[in-house]
Amino acid sequence: MKNFYDFKVDNIKGLSAQEKEFRNKELDLFIKNGFPNKREEAWKFTDLNTILSKNFVNITNDYISLKEKKLELIKEFDHNYLFVLDGKLVSNDFKFEDKNKVLIKEYDYKKQISVSNQNSLNLLNNALATGGYCLEISKDYKFNKPLVVYNHFSESIKEQIISYKNSLILNENSELTILNYTNTNSKNNFFVNSFDYLKLKKDSNLKNIFTNKDRCNCYFHNYFKSDLEQNANFDNYILSTGLKFNKIDIEINLNEEHAKSSIFSALSLDSKEHQEIKSSINHNFKNCQSYQKIKNVLNDQSKGVYQGKIFVKQEAQKTDAYQLSKALLLNDNAEFDAKPELEIYADDVKCSHGSTSGSIDLNLIHYLRSRGIPEKEAYQILINGFLSEILEKLPEDNLKKFLIKKIGRQINGY
Amino acid sequence: MLNIKNLEAKVDNKHILNGLNLNIKPGEVHAIMGPNGSGKSTLANILSGKNGYETKGEINFDGQNLSELSTEERAQKGIFLAFQYPLEIPGVNTNVFLRTSLNSIRKARSEKELDTLSFLKLVKEKSSELGIDEKFLSRQLNVGFSGGEKKKNEILQMKILQPKLAILDETDSGLDIDALRIVADGVNSYKNKYNAFLIITHYQRLLDYIKPDFIHVLSKGKIVKTGNAELGVELEKTGYANFT
Repeated sequence: MKNFYDFKVDNIKGLSAQEKEFRNKELDLFIKNGFPNKREEAWKFTDLNTILSKNFVNITNDYISLKEKKLELIKEFDHNYLFVLDGKLVSNDFKFEDKNKVLIKEYDYKKQISVSNQNSLNLLNNALATGGYCLEISKDYKFNKPLVVYNHFSESIKEQIISYKNSLILNENSELTILNYTNTNSKNNFFVNSFDYLKLKKDSNLKNIFTNKDRCNCYFHNYFKSDLEQNANFDNYILSTGLKFNKIDIEINLNEEHAKSSIFSALSLDSKEHQEIKSSINHNFKNCQSYQKIKNVLNDQSKGVYQGKIFVKQEAQKTDAYQLSKALLLNDNAEFDAKPELEIYADDVKCSHGSTSGSIDLNLIHYLRSRGIPEKEAYQILINGFLSEILEKLPEDNLKKFLIKKIGRQINGY
Repeated sequence: MLNIKNLEAKVDNKHILNGLNLNIKPGEVHAIMGPNGSGKSTLANILSGKNGYETKGEINFDGQNLSELSTEERAQKGIFLAFQYPLEIPGVNTNVFLRTSLNSIRKARSEKELDTLSFLKLVKEKSSELGIDEKFLSRQLNVGFSGGEKKKNEILQMKILQPKLAILDETDSGLDIDALRIVADGVNSYKNKYNAFLIITHYQRLLDYIKPDFIHVLSKGKIVKTGNAELGVELEKTGYANFT
């Protein structure tokens, strides 16, 4: 059978012989495995290989970003920004910050962070990634305003894979809120396969939010690997909607005492959207905490997947780990799959997990309608209510308002 | 105002109402009493437009055939049901719910929607009449409310939405004496010659505070006796044995 992709390391310019060798080796490994399918535990509910083969004729990696699109900034709240076009860092603006405390440059592939795991998409990323950024925040520096990373994708990309890596280092006692803001309204199909490495040093605090501006037809796979030192705090908020396919794979390593992490998600999906969250929370040290709460509203033929794994090492005593996923199904054709996984080797831990899914309680709809509220609005009120528990937790007032309004638009129809 | 003729209702092929007739005029307070399973709550549910009932017969409200109206249209035309078991809605703020509800009704009547300030003023006034703490209104709708608080919240909704016909489905159940008095005062202060009440209850207790013009005894889906306020006192003594 003819493959639906044709990837070449030679399409990447300016590589040293050593880099080429490394990348070709990774590419060979990828080709041996191919795109993941349901045989892989991490893709238990999704046959990506089939999905891509049905939607692409021949994916290549020879796209050259041509035009520099004018960046349209979010007006609703003050922010710093990075402008990333088709995976390449184009410009940055840290006007609300002390610029001496922020180091921003293009990602340095010569100092590549090796990712040795079985994930074939990470192998592919190792082989093909170009562009991306590297951001480092100085010790004791706390950002005044959030940072928006505008991830723009050109409308001319078609049948292409875009691969890049980013890295973020928060030095001791620094603090930052990032909004990862994907922006493309492309009707074309393309695949984005990115890898982010985050290092949170002692006492640092990162809030990491995911959302996107418009609906689009592209396929996203983002892998986030993070290492947390003592007393570091890492909160994630996943609010992406309107994407044809999106998988966010989060690996959090709680490596020192009192490190803390959370994943909150409020998703409202419709049409044939497919969204996956996969988490691996590794409690590698005693007295660490992790919390996950995932809420999905699924309409039409959409599909939501949550695979949450909590791993507790033998020495990670007094671990406190929690995960819960809840889905609200608005249509018989919508689907929610959840796989909570606990792997615990310590004997003095508090770990809990749960998963529920159900449809809207028609008695509640009747109650609202009996107060004069039209049926459609009654549904919207209940959906908003279902997600509000997560939305209430969003940081920064103006940013929060912006995001709640955005989710509201999705719930109430564009 | 409300005219029910020969109303029959079935759920899953089980007959619940068997030819019920009832006529309510503006300014009147009607009470419906009856043993468990006599169809009291079914009547309330049908009037509010709840799905799941197969009905026959006629229900007219202000000259309109009620069966042609959706639940929300009935509310917009002035029918209000105080629920026997008010529902908890997590994530929905009580104040926001009240305002959405009031403005939906006003919008349907082509009246100007209330802005936040005028709404809050209204809510403050009505809730203090019922002795409801304002803090309580910023909580999630009925979530973690006590039985009494839920029932008071229903009466607050009634006072804010100002219906023509208020149906109180066992609003007295689960209330202590103080709460019962507050609820009754709420009803009495709202009562006037333009609106009407249909009070569904098991006990005479509530009727000590809200004086009905008519008491109907419902049994096996039919009104089997109608009397004045004295009938309630009599039922309290004799029970429903004579009617089953």
